[in-house]
Amino acid sequence: MPNLQEMAKKDSAFSSGHRMCAGCPVPIFTKMLTRVTDFDIVVGSATGCLEVASSIFPYSAWKVPWIHTAFENVSAMMSGVEALDKVNRKKNKSDKKIKCIATGGDGGTYDIGIQSLSAAMERGHDLLYICYDNGAYMNTGIQRSGATPLGAATTTSPVGSVIAGKQQQRKDLTRIMIAHHIPYVAQASIHNPIDLSNKIKKGIEIDGPAFINILCPCIPGWRIAPNMAVESARLGVDTCFWPLYEVEDQKFKINYTPKEKLPVTDWLFTQGRFRHLKDDKWSHLVEDFQTRVDEQWDWLLACQTKTE
Amino acid sequence: MAEKILLKGNEVMVEAALAAGCRFFAGYPITPQNEVPEYMSYRMPESGGVFIQAESEIAAINMMFGASAAGVRCMTSSSSPGISLKQEGISYIAAGELPCVIANIQRGGPGLGNIRAAQGDYFQAVKGGGHGDYRLIVIAPGTCQEMYDLTMKAFDYADLYRNPVLILGDGILGQMAEPVERNEYVPLCEMPEKDYVLDGCKGREPRVIKTLKLESNQALIDHNIHLQAKYAKIEEELCLLEEYRTDDAEVVVTAYGIAGRIAKGAVNMARDKGLKVGLLRPMTLWPFPEAAFERLADKVRKFLVVEMSCGQYIEDVRLATKCSKVVEFLGMGGGWYPTPENILEKIEAVY
Repeated sequence: MPNLQEMAKKDSAFSSGHRMCAGCPVPIFTKMLTRVTDFDIVVGSATGCLEVASSIFPYSAWKVPWIHTAFENVSAMMSGVEALDKVNRKKNKSDKKIKCIATGGDGGTYDIGIQSLSAAMERGHDLLYICYDNGAYMNTGIQRSGATPLGAATTTSPVGSVIAGKQQQRKDLTRIMIAHHIPYVAQASIHNPIDLSNKIKKGIEIDGPAFINILCPCIPGWRIAPNMAVESARLGVDTCFWPLYEVEDQKFKINYTPKEKLPVTDWLFTQGRFRHLKDDKWSHLVEDFQTRVDEQWDWLLACQTKTE
Repeated sequence: MAEKILLKGNEVMVEAALAAGCRFFAGYPITPQNEVPEYMSYRMPESGGVFIQAESEIAAINMMFGASAAGVRCMTSSSSPGISLKQEGISYIAAGELPCVIANIQRGGPGLGNIRAAQGDYFQAVKGGGHGDYRLIVIAPGTCQEMYDLTMKAFDYADLYRNPVLILGDGILGQMAEPVERNEYVPLCEMPEKDYVLDGCKGREPRVIKTLKLESNQALIDHNIHLQAKYAKIEEELCLLEEYRTDDAEVVVTAYGIAGRIAKGAVNMARDKGLKVGLLRPMTLWPFPEAAFERLADKVRKFLVVEMSCGQYIEDVRLATKCSKVVEFLGMGGGWYPTPENILEKIEAVY
């Protein structure tokens, strides 16, 4: 287990002076990338908040080789980088293994990027894909995505008197990735740096494809105060909306079990995007939300028992 | 006088689409066109239509294929990189002769580029864009009022010619707000019956809409001959443009869209200085207003092309004037745009 104090002494892959919003927790994971491993890394980013805010020309917040292409194909691009590294070593043009990391938001991962992500995982590239899931297309102005939770207000799932925000449940991408039978899949949260850094280290160093889904609250998108990102993520985990778990070679391990599983309303009602759900009129949506969270938690417990 | 509304260009386009009977919209986030899906997401349900946020631009354009084949007036919008993704679908829609309206609120390119206004997608818009021999009707509004009026017309052109229509806007037009008269939608003419739509074949012969033509070697050639005949008819019938102070002009500035509007200011400034300068601003880019250029080429000394791209529009101006007159150039890509003073300076330099 990495010691956070020791870790912080190492050079970060991500410099200060980036242009993420005040209070945005995404840099918590980008700063860890070089600190958790001794491997040399190359990072590729799909279009999104992180890509835009870290690379406004002529500046770059990245202190490691970094590459960006379009919205839908970071996994394809990084497949190319990884394949090149493999061939270079095979032809003795390089004797040092580099590790490839791809990052994408939920829009670029759950929606438009899922095809190239799925294919890269299936082909077995030695690639860690990190999805920072903030639950909508925040970079373009808070449009709903496949990761947006039921009932959330976004600019394309507005709240009115008839419709209360997004009408569909979010898709469970982590489970989709587990179904790829890759060596490592994990779900993490920015509020728990020890768990998060353990997972990133494992994801980078494991031989073969790995996927980590990180819950990253968004200050403007979730309509929370700039000092609330960490607390909001913690509540997401303590309500079991976002369980912390990992699946290594199809073996499930829940990394954190809340002492007391909080009701989802503790998480929902601290965010402006769910404010309307406090109205009794929408209590059935809150119930549906809770049911889904409970089912997911039960499923996870069963999987852990089954693969023990 | 019609009621006036104050909205952003992107939102104006939505109001016009709904007024013209658009009842299906599918889109995807990309700046600077986000207001179109955002505004549609609540205005469309209010109008009894369907709004879908697709999982990608590719999905959104293929939803157009489906919705149009089902007979509904439909629309999608995006900005430059997203329009590139749509090209495969646009080719299929053109091949299937399915009416729909596509808006491109252009931004700087190439690549991810930036989010400033640009006109770098001109070739892609007017020369096809996707694979195969096809044409889009390309409309270039220069004001929010034109965004309103021409968007309504776009739906009529699409149905009239069974052809996709592209509204070529840009980040400035999409983002700026100005008062717009909410003119009533009146169809251009009696719209042809949609005798091709797939709306259930009970009581009639089944219909087929397809773009794969393998029946014989001749089948696809025949389809191309048919399409070319249709395009020739559109070229004969369709031309929208603004000609301004060209009667005695010795130099004609020509530009489209927002660049045309900026150029108009420059023409007025030049006139104040006693220079005989006029403006030709096409509002249809395909068909290209060749006749107007030919006519002006007979009497003016020079043309000055102004475009927010590196020299695309100028090619069509040279072709239309058969290179009979000098065509000067002021343009740049990547989000550059001129001020009236920039254009005036160029006018004075080349006059």
